[in-house]
Amino acid sequence: MQGSLSGLMAVSCVLVLLAGCAPRPTVILVPDPDGRVGKAEVTTAGGSRLLEKAGEMTQVSGPSEPPSPVAIADPGYISRTFAEALAVEPLPAEKFILYFETGTTVLVPQSRSTVGTIIAAIRRRAAVSINVSGHTDAVGSDLVNEKLARDRAEFVKDLLIKDGVDPVRMTVSSHGKGNPLVPTPDGVAEPKNRRVEVVVH
Amino acid sequence: MKITVAVLSLLLFTAAPGQALAAEVIGHIQTLQGTASILRGDLLLPVAIGTELQCGDLIRTGSPGAAGLVLTDETAISLGPDSELSLNEYVFAPEEGKFSLVARMVRGTFVYLSGLIGKLAPNKVQLAIPDATISVRGTKLLIAVQP
Repeated sequence: MQGSLSGLMAVSCVLVLLAGCAPRPTVILVPDPDGRVGKAEVTTAGGSRLLEKAGEMTQVSGPSEPPSPVAIADPGYISRTFAEALAVEPLPAEKFILYFETGTTVLVPQSRSTVGTIIAAIRRRAAVSINVSGHTDAVGSDLVNEKLARDRAEFVKDLLIKDGVDPVRMTVSSHGKGNPLVPTPDGVAEPKNRRVEVVVH
Repeated sequence: MKITVAVLSLLLFTAAPGQALAAEVIGHIQTLQGTASILRGDLLLPVAIGTELQCGDLIRTGSPGAAGLVLTDETAISLGPDSELSLNEYVFAPEEGKFSLVARMVRGTFVYLSGLIGKLAPNKVQLAIPDATISVRGTKLLIAVQP
């Protein structure tokens, strides 16, 4: 009797240990750096939960169980659990925008001094990565704008290299007319969309 | 099945141009405390601030250890101690309208902040955690995969 009891206890200990070891993923929605709150949906084979307010959380307790009902996360739990990960959050990026004359890789006069500002930010932050993305307005074909946007981005990259920025740190992309700052119908000239964005991390 | 076909066609597609794409830099380690490493294929690489990341990298932090990374689309993910993150899929080709980010949080603690893929093509972002997936609409999340 005693033997089977201790056997039972051993089995239940193992079960507890197993349960204790199984990960119970927790997902908590928090505000973006700019204060906005997005949405996140957590889905298992058993169902989904939608998080849509700051501080809302849900937990997963198995592949076929739906995630737990949405609750508000305890701030103490958040600081205990995420202190280290939050401490190494990369600094928010700094974004700079340079504007161009229509159809060219020529900077508008007001944007010429921005290059110096970008260089200063790169030095101050000891920047690890610099993303340079080129954009156009909606005048012209996709093909022409893809190339123009890339040429603008490469032009800015070259300016930064001339000022001593390590090219290895830079990535360049072309968005063509696909990612306008000011959405317009196709064919509309919009100076604010003729731009290069430089994001410094 | 649909997913398998999608993954397969993606593999075929990305494999076709040869080795060049495999070595594409998709982001950088930005912050580091304690120890961390990257498993890339069979190679175990040390991590430093500025270390370049590639698609397929498995990033691990020690204890103590914590690291923050930023991908080229501005997605930022930081890892607490004893954490493991797999960057399974990453496509950021805005000029072709192609986007994909699939990351697996295997264990540990994470802070996730959406980047441009999350903004331009939110349905192309998928975060996998044990037994579940998270779809994200432009936001910041805290994720713990712990006992």
